[in-house]
Amino acid sequence: MAQRGTYQRYLNRFGWFCVTPAMVLFSLFMLYPIVSSLYYVTRRWKGMSNTFIGLGNFVRMAHDQVFQGALANNFIFMVIQIPIMIFLALMLAVLLNQGIRRFRGPLRLAIFLPAVTSLVVVSVLFRVLLQQNGMLNNVLLDAHLITTPIGWLNDAFWAKVTIILAMTWRWTGYNMVFFLVGLQSIDTEIYEAAEVDGASKFRQLFSITIPLLMPVILFSLVTSTSGTMQLFDEPNILTWQGGPANATMTAALYIYRQAFFVNADFGYATAMSYVVVLISGIFAIVQMRLLGERKAK
Amino acid sequence: MSMVRNWSIGRVLILVILLGAAAISIFPFIWMIVGMTLNPNDVLKGILVPGPEFASNWNKATTSYNLPVFFFNSLKIALLTVIFGLVVNGLAAYGFEKHQSKARDKVFGVLLLTLIIPQIALVIPMFRMFAFFRLLNTHAAIILPSIMSVFIIFFMRQNFKMFPTEIMEAARVDGASEFGIFVRIVTPSMQATYASAAIYLFLGQWNSYLWPLITILSDEKKTLPIAMASMMSAYTIEYGALMVIVCISVLPVLVLFLAMQKQFVAGLLGSVK
Repeated sequence: MAQRGTYQRYLNRFGWFCVTPAMVLFSLFMLYPIVSSLYYVTRRWKGMSNTFIGLGNFVRMAHDQVFQGALANNFIFMVIQIPIMIFLALMLAVLLNQGIRRFRGPLRLAIFLPAVTSLVVVSVLFRVLLQQNGMLNNVLLDAHLITTPIGWLNDAFWAKVTIILAMTWRWTGYNMVFFLVGLQSIDTEIYEAAEVDGASKFRQLFSITIPLLMPVILFSLVTSTSGTMQLFDEPNILTWQGGPANATMTAALYIYRQAFFVNADFGYATAMSYVVVLISGIFAIVQMRLLGERKAK
Repeated sequence: MSMVRNWSIGRVLILVILLGAAAISIFPFIWMIVGMTLNPNDVLKGILVPGPEFASNWNKATTSYNLPVFFFNSLKIALLTVIFGLVVNGLAAYGFEKHQSKARDKVFGVLLLTLIIPQIALVIPMFRMFAFFRLLNTHAAIILPSIMSVFIIFFMRQNFKMFPTEIMEAARVDGASEFGIFVRIVTPSMQATYASAAIYLFLGQWNSYLWPLITILSDEKKTLPIAMASMMSAYTIEYGALMVIVCISVLPVLVLFLAMQKQFVAGLLGSVK
């Protein structure tokens, strides 16, 4: 018996040996930042020194219209870009899966390809393509679809469109691949039965395909929402520091600029990041609940 | 003749939609490859016929913009992240899954909780910490925080579930040490999992922008994304040279994807399983 106890202890020690390196790194680069942020959030930086201001940073936030505008932009991108992208990805996945047999592989490969580019590359490419005298304006002018060049990067409205275009180009194929995997797990016999019952293709789509795909759709909703809450690379590079005049400023970009660019106020930036964490958390919980309910059914 | 019968209007429409989507997806790739051979003005116009400027664009990219330095910085940082990341996360995932205990399950629960925390909320204390240790403007500052990944531990743990515990028991009876079992028996049979995790870690680091932007100050330490972004802030942009740098930074990921499509997608899909 004693020997068995020693062996169990050996196994337990080995278990700790396995997880310790990860736990050390986790403590340094996750736990420590979280815990120490409790200190930052109550302070105000001025130059090299800082003072305790309690909840003052949150009061300041309530009057900061740029931050509120930045959060509003995050929401705008969320409610416009994500539905467009999920609709397109779903449509392409269904068409690829059921509409054609020939060229399915190459077409899937081609549509997924944007997902190999980094967000920086996407931003750089679109910034060049969408210059005032750039390719897209030239094509639209030549096709007589517009009479004057569109200010993709320097008009408040079009700059938002630009961000949405770039995000949709980068992520539609990526999400389509998720949907394709989901579609392939649906039993074809269900469609055969529906066919026998005389259900149209359209009816099949809304009564079979979309309900069965719901967990995957919700998953892509969750990941896209959290990605959009963290939007940083595109507004910083593509529309240049959230421009024009903060029209594409996002929360993450504004926090970065407050902490490392404008006036190095780590306290205020930390307080704003709390709000972002809170909002992301609420979204995650609501969406996970939705996902859980679907699974329970 | 049977071909004609099958081409109903619906089918043609479907093919047109899919070909349109494929064309829009591929166009920027063709444009940036052709762009390497054009003068800045033609890059901007979106001309798709190769020109004679490749040598001069390549020269500008490699001499006035230090492309080789940026490339090898990015490569070194990404590869070291992959190597350390596979060892640390693989071992942790194995420990959490195959050597479960109540305490370790609790630790795992805490790990998972942090998945929802966006990076922007962590960078300020981390910046102060690296400043304190005088590690700003070093590649270590980029590598160290990206080794441990809760997502990768979660993903690998899911896959370790499938490894039969009986094989471990059999090896124990044969007198193998626990570490020996992990290194010689479990790891070799989980190659696909390690490949997906490696791709995920590589992409994450190769493409990372926010944290290197905060920590890297000097030109010779820059990675490709930082270099590209700072090129965009110049008063006059050498678009031809820019396209060379863009292509070089996309190339490794493209090769990785084409060579290992299955693991590539599995790496992306890991969390759905």
